[in-house]
Amino acid sequence: MPRLVIDDLEIEVPKGTKVIDAAERLGIMIPRFCYHEALGAVGACRMCAVKFIQGPFKGIQMSCMIDAQDGMIVSTTDQEAVDFRKRVIEWLMINHPHDCPVCDEGGQCLLQDETVSSGHARRRYPGKKRTYRNQYLGPFIAHEMNRCIHCYRCSRYYQEFSGYRDLGPLQIGNRLYFGRFKEGRLESPYSGNLVDICPTGVYTDIPARYKVRRWDLQRSPSVCIHCALGCNTIGNAHYRAVMRVEARMNPYVNGYFLCDEGRFGFSYTNGGADHAQRPWTSKIGGADVTVEAALAESSSKLSEIAAVYGPEAIVALGSARNSLETQSMLSRLCRRKGWLGPVWFTDTAVYRKVRSAVERLDSGIAVSMREIEFADFVIIAGADLLNEAPMAAIAVRQASRKNAQIVVIDPRPISLPFEFRHVPAVPGQIERCLGSLVKGSISKEELKGLDSAAKGFCKALPAKFGDKESGISIPELADQLMASRRPVIVCGTGIVSESTPALAADCAQLLRESGKKAGLFYILPGASSFSSALLSGPDAKGFAEILSEIEQGSIKALIAAESDPFRDFPDRERLDKALSQLDLLVAIDYLPTETVKRASVFLPSSTVFEMNSTFVNPEGRVQHAERVHAGGVPIWGAHPPRIVRNFIPGGDHQPAWEILWKISAETSVLESVLTLGELIAAEMPAFEATGKAQYPVNQARIIPEKSEGSFVKPKTRPEQGQKPKGFNLLLTDRIFASREPSVYADTLEGVFPEPALFMHSEDAAAAGLSDGDTVSVGLEPGSIEVKLSVSERMARGVLILPRQKGIEWQRMKDFSAWIALERIRKI
Amino acid sequence: MWWILGLVLLIMKLIIVISVLFGFAAYMVLVERKLLGRFQIRYGPNRVGPFGLLQPLADGIKLIIKEDFVPRTADRLVFLTAPAVVAAVPLVITAVIPFSDDLTIGGTRIPMVITDLNIGMLFVLALASLAVYGIALGGWASNSKYSLLGAIRGSAQLISYELSMGLSLVPVVMLAGSFSLVDIVNAQERLPFILVQPVSFVIFLISAMAESNRIPFDLPESENELIGGFHTEYSGMRFGLFFVGEYVSMIVLGALTAVFFLGGWRGPILPSLFWFLLKTMLIPLFFIWTRATLPRLRYDQLMHLGWKFLLPVALVNIVVTGGVMLFMGW
Amino acid sequence: MAKEKSVLRDLLDDVMGLADSYAVTLKHLFRKPITEQYPDFKRLLPARSRGRIILTRDPEGEERCVACYLCSAVCPTDCISIEGAERKDGRRYPLWFRINFARCIYCGMCEEACPTLAIQLTPDFEFSKYGVLDFLYEKEDLLVDHQGKNADYDYYRHAGVSVEGDKGEHINEKPPVDVKSNLP
Repeated sequence: MPRLVIDDLEIEVPKGTKVIDAAERLGIMIPRFCYHEALGAVGACRMCAVKFIQGPFKGIQMSCMIDAQDGMIVSTTDQEAVDFRKRVIEWLMINHPHDCPVCDEGGQCLLQDETVSSGHARRRYPGKKRTYRNQYLGPFIAHEMNRCIHCYRCSRYYQEFSGYRDLGPLQIGNRLYFGRFKEGRLESPYSGNLVDICPTGVYTDIPARYKVRRWDLQRSPSVCIHCALGCNTIGNAHYRAVMRVEARMNPYVNGYFLCDEGRFGFSYTNGGADHAQRPWTSKIGGADVTVEAALAESSSKLSEIAAVYGPEAIVALGSARNSLETQSMLSRLCRRKGWLGPVWFTDTAVYRKVRSAVERLDSGIAVSMREIEFADFVIIAGADLLNEAPMAAIAVRQASRKNAQIVVIDPRPISLPFEFRHVPAVPGQIERCLGSLVKGSISKEELKGLDSAAKGFCKALPAKFGDKESGISIPELADQLMASRRPVIVCGTGIVSESTPALAADCAQLLRESGKKAGLFYILPGASSFSSALLSGPDAKGFAEILSEIEQGSIKALIAAESDPFRDFPDRERLDKALSQLDLLVAIDYLPTETVKRASVFLPSSTVFEMNSTFVNPEGRVQHAERVHAGGVPIWGAHPPRIVRNFIPGGDHQPAWEILWKISAETSVLESVLTLGELIAAEMPAFEATGKAQYPVNQARIIPEKSEGSFVKPKTRPEQGQKPKGFNLLLTDRIFASREPSVYADTLEGVFPEPALFMHSEDAAAAGLSDGDTVSVGLEPGSIEVKLSVSERMARGVLILPRQKGIEWQRMKDFSAWIALERIRKI
Repeated sequence: MWWILGLVLLIMKLIIVISVLFGFAAYMVLVERKLLGRFQIRYGPNRVGPFGLLQPLADGIKLIIKEDFVPRTADRLVFLTAPAVVAAVPLVITAVIPFSDDLTIGGTRIPMVITDLNIGMLFVLALASLAVYGIALGGWASNSKYSLLGAIRGSAQLISYELSMGLSLVPVVMLAGSFSLVDIVNAQERLPFILVQPVSFVIFLISAMAESNRIPFDLPESENELIGGFHTEYSGMRFGLFFVGEYVSMIVLGALTAVFFLGGWRGPILPSLFWFLLKTMLIPLFFIWTRATLPRLRYDQLMHLGWKFLLPVALVNIVVTGGVMLFMGW
Repeated sequence: MAKEKSVLRDLLDDVMGLADSYAVTLKHLFRKPITEQYPDFKRLLPARSRGRIILTRDPEGEERCVACYLCSAVCPTDCISIEGAERKDGRRYPLWFRINFARCIYCGMCEEACPTLAIQLTPDFEFSKYGVLDFLYEKEDLLVDHQGKNADYDYYRHAGVSVEGDKGEHINEKPPVDVKSNLP
């Protein structure tokens, strides 16, 4: 632990800490451009010069390049160092254009700040300025190369950190250029971070282009709800519109960065560019009414139905994008009023998988994304990280950069920004493959040391997973796993069998008991699926059952709280008929969903930017999102009206939990009964168990010390015999285009991937199909027409259909289907 | 029948005196504003009518049509009557002031004074001290701290200066040998008292200034510390009455000064009424000039001047006058 | 006796002081007033005087404002609101620009902050209206067809961002770097 003195302040820092970081711990911000904690030091900008007065180094040195050592005495304010930095700024500004007024970085620009603070105001150099031509980099990032100061942050982030190669340095010396070889959209789905990382305005974001300055923004810490990971964000709003979402540093979750879906997929909260897409006003039977009228209508109808048919004629739907508050309120109302539900997922199997995943997480084994970065062997089972949880892929990439071996066991044509071994196993084989890999990694000595339950489990694991099936030598990988110290299993909950999450947990437990510091991370299907699993019992009715009860007429009313079965349920025709039999369909939402259009009573709810809300991420981390702004129809795009009003247009929305409370007609004010913290704690014992039942809770983890029920005996044989003929059609997520808030975000429309059906190339050849064909997939009532995409890097015998906008997958009868070869026809 | 004629004459005199007085008061406002303007190298009001001559009319209309506002917590009756007291008192004083030589019409001598009281000067002093009731009551009834402070200052100031004013007039009475104002004017047939009693004149002038609450003695209303003092809460014509009262009393004090020290209506060649008016106007003009020249006194300076300077000087003056009269055997 | 003498001297001094001040005011009484008879006579105000605000155009006739938000940031009464937008040719401009003159205190800080010399204060100070909403001036009301006080300044000639034409055509710029060439 070296001790050093910086500006007369003494500090002791861990070995290997750079002097610039040591100073930052003391609260001394040494100016820097190229240095970034996540990217490391290259010493390119010469801006962090400080004077070393005593110690192993003497004189002016770059503080980002030198490790703190004992006996160093450093001065950041020495005249020589100050002059040096002043000259560096002047030299960096020689070619910097005079365009701050039209630059979106102005007001949040590191270069601007450092220039002003160094006192440089007048260009003394009489020569001409260097210029560059700009490139088109896609719909998110604007490029203005003249502003570049050659710090290399962008290329280091883009190539080294995020693992994409299409943007980088060209040319040398003063002609250095950062861009693509050919113009075009950036391939990386993490390109938005260039905006954050660039110390000046070379990369600026297009959705907020020219619209706003940093000082005008209302900013609050928020949480991303586009996937389950719960990345920390900063919401930025102005003139009643969310203008921009920035990454918020959280070392345990997302680090400094954010994926493009989370960063640019915010426009649903503004109702799109024309602000007309979001349902702003309450409706009864499609006609606009006041909130009070809609509340009274739904409340009286509900009590009427409860009085006539009994409370079990009312069913409540929730979803994985509810906040924890809304979920707790749903749970409380169903429990106390006798309503059916709440039903969180239309797919009961997904719900069971989430439950078994959440049950098996304990604080010993659950790892955060940060801990994944330090793993030396990562097994990704049944998860397509880039499409299902993009920031998790970045975390695994950091492990890969530290030479970790990555094994992906998944039938899909996975592409990830790092090197990995892909075992294209069909869903039924994932367990066997994972099992044999883990079993192979347990040496005989280690086996002896295990207790009986673990030993029994280990023995029951399948011994072999044929090289033939995988094309990859599992024993070789198992040897590497045996040598690893910190393996992590990342397990999906989407396409895998119902028993897989539990098996993954057992495998992680087994690795742990064999002496490794093993970790487990689940990829869950929505921002608050973790909390939904903690809220209702395992006997909750599935959505299909509810639907048949509606068809039989025993359910008369349905409350859909931020839930859209029309999107999630694969049989739209049946749903359509069933819902038309209802007496009352109350929709509470902020998205213009099909359910909202069909609702007999609609009540607008608040988005995550418009209320204080809580979400639990897949490692059980409770995260609080603060309200960014009050919401309402944005003023953007036209003159604000020249009238004086005492209300906010479109400001009728309220948090879904509040609406639920009001329509339940218990009392008008929740606080008179219990606080939000008490409400959540009463519904979710784990929340109280954190010892922090006070509300709001942030960054506490609500997973138990030790989970119960481990080492379930795995199925030894592959599921065979009853296997139907043909292809297994799997529904999967796809980045930008399949998760619920994102599909309503028009900012993302430019990057929606083309709808495609994925098929193995040999299967396609056998069917006489080739890449790019438009095929029709025959289903019972109709068919789905979609472009075919052929890949060699996927499992045979499966068809992958993304649940994305542009594909009418809701024509399937069930969540998975078996399609005979002859039903796939070229058109 | 003579008594009817006497009544008609009296009423005519009353009407003439009151209308002339009000007219003078109104135009005194204009004269003050114009003069103040010129003292400050500007024009003063010149927008309403030629040379701003209709300005008093405009002011009057404005004051009459403004809302007559009574604060909610005010003592309503007192609040409403206080301005009337202020305006009425100087009017009543004019009853004893002779404004011209006796007029002889058809052999009948008509005295140019509304009523020649033999205790005229006592009457004047008594009424002059009554004027402070308007200020004190108005300030009290407003139920506002500024008004109350103004009212207290007004009372204190009046008590201090009433004394020296009365004492400064003692030598005048001694010289004239009568309290009647007509007799006092007649006593100045040879020599106006200002030449005989300059010290008395100065004391009377200063006290008169203080009586009429004008700069440098306007502490009861000092607008920059008390927001208008006793009339802070007044608006419309009630505020106008305070205003009228101030200007009428200024003219009345001018008239009294003329009577006591400047020989009243006496003067060579020109008609006696003209002399009276000329002398009467000298004092208000001097007041205006003072307003343009002097700053407001501090409260302690005010008290110091009244009690420690004017009062002893007035007493000494009486003694000296008495001694001289005794010595000269008047 | 010396004391009494000094008291008399003091008294004399005081009286002389008073007389002096009376003399000064009396002298003023006979001076010609310096007042200007405002509505009858309107004095020509200097161009820099701070009255009603305008938005000027550059020598090419384009509006100078680039919606940089500096004026609204510096405004002490928050009376300026803007929405920036991008024109089809890439030029940054205010979609709407509103000044609430009912709030404006004519301090001129917006003019000082403006990097493109677009917002300028004019000597027009006769600015009263009957309705508060009439003081809400939109861009159409503010924009004028001249360059105001700075006739020949064109921000986009200095900026370095190309709106029309190629890079490197602005004042004091080299031609753009050809990244595909190895020639120096």
